[in-house]
Amino acid sequence: MASQSRTFDAPKGRADLERDLDDELRFHLEMEAAQLATRGHSPDEAATLAKRRFGSVEAVKEDCREERSGYGFELFGRDLRFGLRTLARRPSFTIAAVLTLALGIGANAAVFSVVRGVLLRPLPYGAGDRLVALRQADPVAAVADAGFAAQELYDLRQGTKTLDGLVEYHHMWFNLLGRGEPMRVRTGVVSHEYFAVLGVAPLLGRSFLPQDEAHGAPPVLVLSHGFWKTAFGGDPQVVGEVFQMNDRPHTVIGVLPPLPPYPDANDVFMPTSACPFRSAQAMEESRTMRGLSLLGRLAPDSSIVTAQAELAELGRGMAEEHPEAYDQGRAMEMHLDPMREVLTSEARPSLVLLFGTVVLVLVLACANVASLTLARLQARERELALRRVLGAGKGRLWRQLATESTLLALAGGVVGLLLAVPVVELLSRWASGITPRADEIRLDGQVLLFTLAVALATGLALGALAVLRSSGVDPGQSLKAGARQTLSGGRLDLRRALVIGQLAVSAVLLTGAGLMVRTLVNLYRVDPGFETTNVVKARLDLNWSRYRNAPQIATFWSSLLDEVKDLPGVTMVAVASRVPLGEPLASARLELRGEAPPAGTAPRIGLRLVSPNYFETLGMGFVEGATFSPADDAEAPRKAILSRSLAARHWPASSPLGKELTLDGGDTWWRVAGVVDDVKQDGLAAEISEELYLALAQSPPLSGNLLVRIEDGAQLSAQTLRGAVARLDPEQPIVDVGTLEELRRNAVAAPRLISTLLALFAGLALAITTTGLAGLLAFQVSQRVPEIGVRVALGATPGLVRNLILRQGLALVALGLGAGVLGALLLGRSLSTLLYGVEPGDPWTLAAVMIVLFATAGFACWLPARRAAHVDPMAALRSD
Amino acid sequence: MNAPKSDLLQGTLDLLILKTLALGKSHGWGISQRIQQISEDVLQVQQGSLYPALHRLEKSGLIAAEWGASDNNRRARFYELTAAGHQALTAETESWHRLSGAVGRVLEAV
Repeated sequence: MASQSRTFDAPKGRADLERDLDDELRFHLEMEAAQLATRGHSPDEAATLAKRRFGSVEAVKEDCREERSGYGFELFGRDLRFGLRTLARRPSFTIAAVLTLALGIGANAAVFSVVRGVLLRPLPYGAGDRLVALRQADPVAAVADAGFAAQELYDLRQGTKTLDGLVEYHHMWFNLLGRGEPMRVRTGVVSHEYFAVLGVAPLLGRSFLPQDEAHGAPPVLVLSHGFWKTAFGGDPQVVGEVFQMNDRPHTVIGVLPPLPPYPDANDVFMPTSACPFRSAQAMEESRTMRGLSLLGRLAPDSSIVTAQAELAELGRGMAEEHPEAYDQGRAMEMHLDPMREVLTSEARPSLVLLFGTVVLVLVLACANVASLTLARLQARERELALRRVLGAGKGRLWRQLATESTLLALAGGVVGLLLAVPVVELLSRWASGITPRADEIRLDGQVLLFTLAVALATGLALGALAVLRSSGVDPGQSLKAGARQTLSGGRLDLRRALVIGQLAVSAVLLTGAGLMVRTLVNLYRVDPGFETTNVVKARLDLNWSRYRNAPQIATFWSSLLDEVKDLPGVTMVAVASRVPLGEPLASARLELRGEAPPAGTAPRIGLRLVSPNYFETLGMGFVEGATFSPADDAEAPRKAILSRSLAARHWPASSPLGKELTLDGGDTWWRVAGVVDDVKQDGLAAEISEELYLALAQSPPLSGNLLVRIEDGAQLSAQTLRGAVARLDPEQPIVDVGTLEELRRNAVAAPRLISTLLALFAGLALAITTTGLAGLLAFQVSQRVPEIGVRVALGATPGLVRNLILRQGLALVALGLGAGVLGALLLGRSLSTLLYGVEPGDPWTLAAVMIVLFATAGFACWLPARRAAHVDPMAALRSD
Repeated sequence: MNAPKSDLLQGTLDLLILKTLALGKSHGWGISQRIQQISEDVLQVQQGSLYPALHRLEKSGLIAAEWGASDNNRRARFYELTAAGHQALTAETESWHRLSGAVGRVLEAV
């Protein structure tokens, strides 16, 4: 039983089908006319009557065509060509619409690239979402991340069933010799199965094997991708090369693919057996020397929850068996953080804010184009009415208008993507400061798909809007000769509503930008407690194998101080183990002589080893006592200097000078020699921390920061410093040469970029809105020209007319502002994590926003109002 | 301008067309005349709906078309039921009887 339609006609072309349809209907009409003729009408009458009875032949033909082919390619092609022709006929409208949409769609594409790279893209590790970072917190010393000791790692590894891989990591700085100048390389020291657990396969060569981690195994290195590219030019022959590190030959066995710089931006990796510190027996057997980070991989059948519980259990077990290794015998608190969280949590709030903002900007842009489209529709009323009469159904018109607006949106999408390219570049540079995943940001396939989807959605929405508005008009009215363009109330109301919406959104964006700018200003104004001008800093990490004991290290630092002091332009030099505004806090637990150890959690104290001139170099003042003297060397009694807040906590009423304290439970005692002003150590927005300063000469560190104060206008180049260091030790690298001023500026880099972007987007929003507002008012004026003519003829002054129009516009502005302020207050709460020194509902910012918006919008209303005032009444009345 | 849709629902019109064609091959004009006659002038098919319906049924394969000569030797397009059309007609007629029976019972019950 065939279900095919048995057309006896051979397949025909379009022209033939048209002719057939024509013939078929004509036959019907002739038969009808014939029938009528038999009933007494004249042939002419009959024909006319038949036609009238039949109705619109064109409409029927159109319907038949549709039934035959549905929405086939033929119709689509026709729509496309017609759409292109229509758009080409009005270039000003087309260009304005495309540019506006390009701005909106482009901004979305750019921000989406970042969101995709940082938040959405799967992790670049094979084990991806099964990776977790372990952290143990010391409840007694109030340290959030105490690190792990080697024996703890071994116990955990043996006891865990929920993790099928547990690896260690820590980083050290080593000097790499054998390629021209000595290079300081950040080295990741890891378990042999580190990369296997992460699920990373080497790009070249191989990764570590169990035998590489065996005690006494020949040292091997794996290079990171970035280091391989920059230091070795991507040389594929690098595998097998040998370098001197820590006075031992190390062989390169492999190169890694590009990976995020987590946990640090390492240049090379080595197994634990190759690291002299880590492989020392004392470290291997220790339970208390905690410096390791642990990464784990969840077993296929376990979850974070079960792993967390198991690790807590194991932690408690360890504390029970070895209470001497834990503060007051209390077990550490185990934490498991999914890798994705660790890599993205800092960036997420800012990114979500940015994305919300650009979506709003797109909505604004669409509103403008919608308004423009509605205005154009009015101009096209006659054309559309004609088409309706000629048989186009509503669905047909919708398709036509939708095709036009989709073409506009797609063109906007293409231009937008081009605009987005430099913006993505800028954004990823910013993102690298708040997430290690910044390298994964790019305009890839998903971004293109997203842009396409946004463009299509925009086009269809605009098309739907246009049709909704146009279907309410009666074509008969429009076609009457001489009919003026009617002020269709519904359409105008919609445009008014759009403008009010735009004003509200602009107000919200401006408020957000204003709050961020104030945050930025507040951050700039924060007094860090030390002078940042004219201070050069640099970092040196000493070669442990050359400077093996405290006296050797101390000698190096003091020789360095002497050497640098004599350089031209230098007024003062100091060395410190940490730079303020730089690295995170090292902590110590303080006990005072004669007092019981503090119960419960003790606050974290910052520990800093400094040379005597440190405080003066940074312009820090003393509250009591004085700085270390040259006599405070290794043989002299140990001295300590407290920060003001630390002194206030322990000796609120009396002076701490001369009192004694210990940091290692009583083995060594320090005597307080002075109290110095507080500084901001952890970044400008953080709280002031309590600091303890010890003499560099008495506890010399292997890594130190050189701080050099120079005269106003003097210059101190990295070259000069390097030369000074080379005179002492030609194989000692010196790095991170910069100024404290730069450090301070970098501390505000993130909020600075957000404020800039928000301000930019808010400005864009304002521009889009004011042009929309001006356009709407200009349109309204043009509609009311005859009415204005009458008013003027009846005696209205230009001032009166202008005020009439102005009042109309300002009413819209007032409504928009009101809605906007409400919106800003509601949404402001979501910003609070990013703000500093200013509340989301800050009245000053809101007031400023209202003034700015009122002024610009008011100006936008002023221009058309002025034009209205100069309408010539005679010309107006004549133009009817 | 499109006239308002016919009084007959689309489905009903299709059913009538199929039934009419079951009585024999015919062209569009003939179909509309037949329906009018048989229903004793109660049902008047709106011309605007007839031809789109015919083309739709043809597209679905329920009827087939060919050109031929009318009674007065004019070129006209003739339609006839296909096998699938016969099947559809039976099924639709059954449904229609069931529906109208149910409506009738409801009306009588009041």
